[in-house]
Amino acid sequence: MHFVNAVPSALGFLFAGPLVPADPGRFSLVEKLTLAVLIFTSAGLFWKRFGVVLDKILKSRKDPGFHLGNIGKRIWDFFWEVLCQAKVIRERPLPGLAHAFVFWSFLAFALVTLNHIATGLGIGFLNSTGIFGQIYFWFAALFAIACAISIAGLFIRRFVVRPIWLAREGHELSWESGVIAGLIFALMATYLASFFVADTGPATRILWWTHTLSLLVFLPLVPHTKHLHLILSPFTIFFSRGAFSDIPPLSGDEDFGLVTGKDLTQLVSLQAYSCVECGRCTEHCPANNTGKILNPKEIILGIRGYLNEYGPTAEELLLGKYNSQEAAFQCTTCGACEFQCPVGIEHVPIIVGLRRGATNTGEWDNEYGSKLFNAMERNSNALGLSALERDKFIQKQELPIFDGTQEYCLWLGCMGGYDPKGREIIASFVEVMRYLGTSYGVLRKEKCTGDPARRLGNDLVFQQLAESNLETMQTQKVKKIVSICPHCVRTIQTDWKEFGAPPEIEHHSEFLARHQAQLPHNKTDEKIVYHDPCYLGRYRNIYDEPRSVIASAGTLVEPERTRERSFCCGAGGGLAFLGEESGQRVSSVRAQELVATGATTIGAACPFCNTMFRDALANGENSPRLLDIAQIAAMQLPQPAAKPQA
Amino acid sequence: MKIIVAIKQVPERDARIRIDASGKWIDLQDVEFAMNESDAYALEEALQLKEAHGGEVVVLSAGPERAGKTIREALAKGADRAIHIQSSDETELAKFDALGVARLLAAAVKDEQADLILAGLQSDDLGLGQTGVILAELLGLPHATLILKIEKTETGVKVLRELEDGWFQHLELPTPAVLTIQSGNSKLRYATLMGIKKAKTKEVKVVSVADLAASAQSQTPVVTLDAVKLPHKQRTTQILGGTPAEAAAALVEKLQFEVRAI
Repeated sequence: MHFVNAVPSALGFLFAGPLVPADPGRFSLVEKLTLAVLIFTSAGLFWKRFGVVLDKILKSRKDPGFHLGNIGKRIWDFFWEVLCQAKVIRERPLPGLAHAFVFWSFLAFALVTLNHIATGLGIGFLNSTGIFGQIYFWFAALFAIACAISIAGLFIRRFVVRPIWLAREGHELSWESGVIAGLIFALMATYLASFFVADTGPATRILWWTHTLSLLVFLPLVPHTKHLHLILSPFTIFFSRGAFSDIPPLSGDEDFGLVTGKDLTQLVSLQAYSCVECGRCTEHCPANNTGKILNPKEIILGIRGYLNEYGPTAEELLLGKYNSQEAAFQCTTCGACEFQCPVGIEHVPIIVGLRRGATNTGEWDNEYGSKLFNAMERNSNALGLSALERDKFIQKQELPIFDGTQEYCLWLGCMGGYDPKGREIIASFVEVMRYLGTSYGVLRKEKCTGDPARRLGNDLVFQQLAESNLETMQTQKVKKIVSICPHCVRTIQTDWKEFGAPPEIEHHSEFLARHQAQLPHNKTDEKIVYHDPCYLGRYRNIYDEPRSVIASAGTLVEPERTRERSFCCGAGGGLAFLGEESGQRVSSVRAQELVATGATTIGAACPFCNTMFRDALANGENSPRLLDIAQIAAMQLPQPAAKPQA
Repeated sequence: MKIIVAIKQVPERDARIRIDASGKWIDLQDVEFAMNESDAYALEEALQLKEAHGGEVVVLSAGPERAGKTIREALAKGADRAIHIQSSDETELAKFDALGVARLLAAAVKDEQADLILAGLQSDDLGLGQTGVILAELLGLPHATLILKIEKTETGVKVLRELEDGWFQHLELPTPAVLTIQSGNSKLRYATLMGIKKAKTKEVKVVSVADLAASAQSQTPVVTLDAVKLPHKQRTTQILGGTPAEAAAALVEKLQFEVRAI
């Protein structure tokens, strides 16, 4: 009580004004009728558009495989991302906080607004002479101040500072955002001003009506603009598919991914209408940042544009209308967009969905893509090499064959089994396992996990590989797998679930981190920069384990974009196999960033990142050394196993 | 245009080859099978012709039940229907020589009235390169081998043949004709999920080897296989030294004059 009383009086002193907003007094019948007509008009205009949007969302196809499980996580996400505005603030702290204050003010104002309208109709319920009313009006006033300052700041940011991420092609500035900002400011200003005018005076009436009109103009603008996110995004976040970059199963014989409007699901449509156009996705997109046409924001707005023009039951192709096939196939599936999105849009499943639609129907005609798929089908590895090559490597390295008695099945993967650099990583990791006395074995026959096919939308090849591998796992009685490749780890653990129960799998960084105490360390002063692979960091939430390996060998340094914001190497999503990119190479942009830290060694934890950086650094003089964490760990072992095999 | 494509299912190129107990063929246990490579190119040519000029592509394959998978793959890539000359087991067809197989194929397609019959140049397993040519002879049709490109003309087809040493030959043939296709000229399409689903409903006519053989003229093989042996591998590695420029020059010379690869 003490505290509550202290606040209004202190602020009251500050403003030297009365303690409550002025009471507009009694309204005439004409005023009441006018208000009623205005409310109906406003609500009608609101529904005229919102009803259409809702209809499009509800008429979309049901999401296959969606269930409302894991309520605890949903409630937490809602609390953290909606109520606490965590994602909004984390990425852009200052504008994020400003946005959060506007949002929190809206929540605080809900009661004030209801009371405001009710007062006009003669049924006001917040008593400004009562203690609750007084406290609440002051509580709202505090938020009104914060909100007015915030919205003014956001206005200046959008119209004066003009960050490029807010713009859209052809729409440099969003006039509607200006109008909305003006209305919000007017709402706050009129509310605050009403503390300083006398009860029942004409100024009070004018303020009351200005506030009311701002409100009634604001309402129908919401569904007509990106401010639709006010209503939809809490639902989008609550009803997310449930896991990061979760590719839904195909259902029935007619489902080939996102081919036409009929394939758009309710969640996809809901997400498309929730987009607030903030551009965080685009800001972090490696393709967009290196001059490619892919813009994840425009992908989502493209779906919205399609829904607006054709609707969710249309049989027109999705690609070629608002979204291009070229853009969809420039995505590395790094997931930076989805990770950043503050309104719960799941970009990767949508982009992969569009690719599925193009690949599963044969619409995607790409020389490299066809070669890759044929190689995966014929040779069961993405590099298109003979399985005999893998056998030779196993013999040369004297790798034991998994027979069910060993603890670990060491998954080589295409890179570990066929790529020279990947083989070096396996050789080093094997040295470490031998030193530790870990029992392991490799499969006599191993097929690609299907990762590139999965991300490029070829469900036929993916399914064949996943099923065949799952069968091998079962007959060989594999319980625990360890792999040097984050892509293999992700695909085996998550994507294979569509076709069976994969064994437990971990990335070698997790294995190495767990055995740090048993491994020898020769810590030097060498500066080693660590690059977070997308499929290990954002996809698996592994950040500290590989760092602990590096920190045991040298001084760990961080590049500019790190951890959750790590910048892709350019290889993911099957793009490592698709030939030359347009624009700058993603790999060289990232490699330069790593070099710029001044580190003499680059520590990688993914054979794809490794091979991308090797190529990107090939031309540079005095390039840093490029090592996998397994090689870094193996280097510290006693001789003769002290150096990685070149 | 009605095009028949003869396709053979062969052991995968990567297969671990072991000679079986009889010494006359390889042990087929643990071997995976795939579409013969040049047959895949023949299919691709047929599909491209169909896309350009319309018509029908019919797949023709002789093999045990397992060959059905390769037939489905061809249907998934776009062929319209198939004829499967099915052998009762793995050994039944092994008794046939190229002439015998060609007789079976000829008997299966004689009533089809196709405009073109395409076959791969040779099979990846036996590598005889004869079946397509004998088939043409049995059907009394003109034929050309080692075909890289097919263009439809008013009366027939214009084709490009690969000769040795980088030489090519342009030929015109009247249709119907039989062509055997060389690998590598076109871009193979990939099988799609939609294709596989559609293939489920496409017609595969199964005829037994025994039934067809009864209607063929003679069954006595003129060639018999006595034994198969694994090739003796000899490998020599040369390291080309010097500066990168010198090494590259030496490599080009070797590729040009020793290996004759470029």
